[in-house]
Formats: sequence, structure tokens, C-alpha cells
Amino acid sequence: MVDVNTPRTSRAAGYLMLLPAVAVITLLVIVPMVVIARDSFAVSDPLGGNLGGFTLDNYAKLLDPVYAKTLGYSLGMAALNAAVCTVVGYIVAYYIATRPAKTQPVLLVLVIIPFLTDFLVRTFAWITLLGSGGPFISLLRLLGVEAQSLVPSQLAVTLSLLYAFLPVAVFPIYASMRSIDPSLKEAAADLGAGWWQTHARIFVPLSASGLASSVMLTFVPTLGVFVIPVLLGGGKDPLVGNLIVTLFTEFRNEPLGAALSMVVLVLMLLSVAAAGLILRARSGSARAGRSRSPKKASAV
Amino acid sequence: MERLNSWIARLVFVFLYLPIAALIVYSFNSSEVSYRFDGFTFRWYAELFRDQMLLESLRTSALVGVIAAVLATVIGFLSAFALVRLRVKGRAFFVGAILIPLIVPEIVLGVSLLTVFSSAGLPTGIVTLVLGHVVITLPLATLVLMGAMSSLDPSLSEAATDLGASPWVTFRRVLFPLLRPSILAAFLLSFTTSFSNIVISTFTAGVGTTTLPLRIYSTLRTGLTPELNALGTLLVVATLGVILLVGVAQMRRILAGPRP
Repeated sequence: MVDVNTPRTSRAAGYLMLLPAVAVITLLVIVPMVVIARDSFAVSDPLGGNLGGFTLDNYAKLLDPVYAKTLGYSLGMAALNAAVCTVVGYIVAYYIATRPAKTQPVLLVLVIIPFLTDFLVRTFAWITLLGSGGPFISLLRLLGVEAQSLVPSQLAVTLSLLYAFLPVAVFPIYASMRSIDPSLKEAAADLGAGWWQTHARIFVPLSASGLASSVMLTFVPTLGVFVIPVLLGGGKDPLVGNLIVTLFTEFRNEPLGAALSMVVLVLMLLSVAAAGLILRARSGSARAGRSRSPKKASAV
Repeated sequence: MERLNSWIARLVFVFLYLPIAALIVYSFNSSEVSYRFDGFTFRWYAELFRDQMLLESLRTSALVGVIAAVLATVIGFLSAFALVRLRVKGRAFFVGAILIPLIVPEIVLGVSLLTVFSSAGLPTGIVTLVLGHVVITLPLATLVLMGAMSSLDPSLSEAATDLGASPWVTFRRVLFPLLRPSILAAFLLSFTTSFSNIVISTFTAGVGTTTLPLRIYSTLRTGLTPELNALGTLLVVATLGVILLVGVAQMRRILAGPRP
């Protein structure tokens, strides 16, 4: 259309059309992040007010046992959640991708429905399910187990974190698995490969991009969750997200909150870079693998 | 092993629906204290519509959601059009920039917006809520519309041009009708994302502009009420409505990419 006839004016029009988006990203994402990066090095008065200047005190304070403990616990929970989400996501994605073409969209919609349901609703549904008098406790009583309520508990936190992030893990793994040629599975079976071997040598390597995305989209975002530890954990074991909210809205200690936010941001950038490296290595070895595939196939 | 995998997967589907099922069943529970199931009632749904604070926050969320979704869809449409149809130079750079909010953890976006708004002297309220929600919905709207535009057959608009249609007529009579379902999808996804957001709203809402999720959260901190189960059930039904409107095929393309 336009680009065929008047390429130059349409290019100019293109940049003009990109202007609103560039303005939103610059003014509401880039500038605020630069400001918060700056604030993380600012000196704070005893009440947490921002005095400007330059100091590394805020980062040093994060090593204080109070903060270090939360940081350590959060990293542990995030790693656990990312691992569980990715393994369970892999199992579900493989199941969906190996169903007949007609059933696949139906199963995918079954994953999408909870994903698009309001995050808070998904979270408090767990209180209904696991809370005192709820169906789960009633079932335990029926089986003769004496129980009062599973909310608040570590188990409730872990389950609802999995529930919140599982769909985010399923989508990218399913997307990468969908492009795997099904005849590879048959070929592996013909060559006598067992279930584990078929997965370890075909499905896991070929869905590596999806698996990397899954870890990236679940690990660091888990750190920022603040609703679940309060509602299902009783606020006893806060995640980094709770700490950031408290520092900004209650303690009004902006520099310290900014430093903690920067830690989360840097971790996210590192995980994006790691995922990028894995992808590059994969696509490199996939290209190499294709050229020597006959040899590889005989090795299976 | 293959069968074990299938059984685990089926159990996961049960896991995905157990909380939702409990929510729906207990929303009709006549017992006051939601402790055990006593009998069937519509009472909690009726009380929901008498809760003025809740209705007020529903209005705020709907208003913010509509404005943010319209802005995200319009800005996303312009960007997608420039990137896909006009093939501006530096495409990868612009796409990357627009997708930044998907990578940056929401809580970091939230606190940095709060910091900037307060140092700019902008009081928290509808405006700051809308700005924050545009940030997180713009990448979604742009992705949906870019996907839709790149799957359009270019020969359709070429044919229109060959037949003497001006660029504007080509856009209005050929492109726009073809893109209408995706524009609706972009709008609905943006609206849903804004409507259910709690992280950005925690930092950008002001006094008197409490959104529905913020209201639910503060109610929950004192305990779960049967009305909340009723509200949750209505929101699940609304989600089903959104998915049906967007369409299953389009939903799959958005979340799991185009067919290989």
C-alpha cells in the first residue's frame, strides 16, 4: 500500500505513529527507572527521607540480617516456584501438544480461563478451599485427620504461588513444543528409545527456548508478589515484594526501597541475559545438530 | 511413563479448577460463617449490590480500565501499523522498547512510577492509575495487533490500491474490517489486565480512587466474607465472556504464538 508508492513520506508517518508509544515508554518506564536507580544511592535522613547525595549505605543495609533473611527466603521460594512451575508446565504442555489437533485448543482454553481470572480471586479461592470449614478440611476430618485450617500455612503459600504462575509456564513451553516434528517421536520409538531417553534427547532440548522463557517468567516475578504471603501465609514470612511495599508505603524510606527494587531489577536482567544465552547456544547447536543428524539418529 | 505423564497432566487440570469450583459452590452457601455448607441461597449476590464501597470501587476500576484500554489499543494500533505495515527502520529496537514493561517486574514499575509522580507533584488518582495501567497494557495490545497485521495477506491492500483506492479508503474499507476482531481482542485483553491489576494500583491509586482489587484486598485482610465468593464467581463468569468474545483461535495465537 502506501509504502509501495511513497516510501519516504510513509517512513516519516511511521515514526510519527510510533511517537505516542515512545513517549509512554520513555516518560513512564525509562525515566522512572533512572530516577529510582539514582534514589537507591541517595542518603536518607533518620526518618527515611531522601536527602540526595551519594552513598552505598542503602545496599549495605540490605545485608542486615533482617533484610538478608527475607531476601534469602524469597530467592529460595522463587527458585522452588520456578522449578515446580517449569516441571509441571512441561508435563502439561507435553500432554496438550500430543493430543489430537482438535482437542488442543480446548485444553489450552482450560489453562487460559484460570490465567485470565482476576489474580486476587484466584488467590482467595485458596482460602475458601483450604480454610477452616472448607472442603479440604472437611475431607480430612472425614478421613479421621484432626485439622483446623490450612490458612495461614507455608503449604497454602506454595500451592497458590504455583497456581498463580503455572499458566505463564505452560504457554511458552507449549509454543516451543508445538513446532517439534511428531515424526521425531516415532523415529525415536522405532530406534528403541524409552520414554526418558526420548524426552532427554528430543523433547527437552527442542523445547529449551520455552523452558528458558518459563523460568524467566516465573523466577524473578515470584520475588515481587506481596498479596499471597499476606493472605495465605499470615504475613509471617514476607517476600521481597512485601518488603518493598512496606518500605515505600509505610516506612516511607524511599532510598532503601529503591535499593531493594534495584536488586530485583538486576536479578531480572540477569535472568533475561541467561535465558538469551541459553537460546543462542541452543540455536547454535541445533544448527550444528542438523548437519550431523544422521550420526545422531544412529546414536539414539 | 507416557500414561503417568497423562495422569499427572489430568490431575493438574483438576488442580486448576478445584479453587474455582470451591469459590462457586461456597458463593451459594447459606451459612453465615462460610464454615460448612448449609444450603442454597442467592443472598450474597444480593448483598453485593448493596455494598456501596464495593460498587464505588467497581466504578473506579471500570472507568480506569476503559480509558487505559482505549489508550493502549489506539497507541498499540499506531505502533503496530508503523512497525508492520510501514516497515520503519530500527524495528527490533522499537519492538524491544515497547516490550520492556513485560520484562521489568511489576513491583519495580509500580514503585518507580510512584517516585516520579510524587516528585513531579502529580497527585495520585484516576490520572496516575490510567498512566500506570497504560504502561502494562500497551505491550499486550501492540503484540496482539502486530500479530494480526503480519498475518494479513498483503495482496488484499495491493489489490485495493491497484483498483484506485486511496490509502485512507484502503485502510477504512479493507484493513480495518479485517483487523476488527483483533482490535476487539487487544481492547478486551487490555481492559481485563487493567481491571484485575493490583500491583501497579497499590502505588498509583489515591484516596477516593480505590480500585476493585484494592478494595477486595483490604476486605480480605480482615477475613474472607461470603460476598467475596459471590463477587469472585461473577468475575469468573466475566472472564469466560471475554474469552468467548476474543475467540478461542485468536486467544491461542496470542498466548502460544502462530502456527509453526
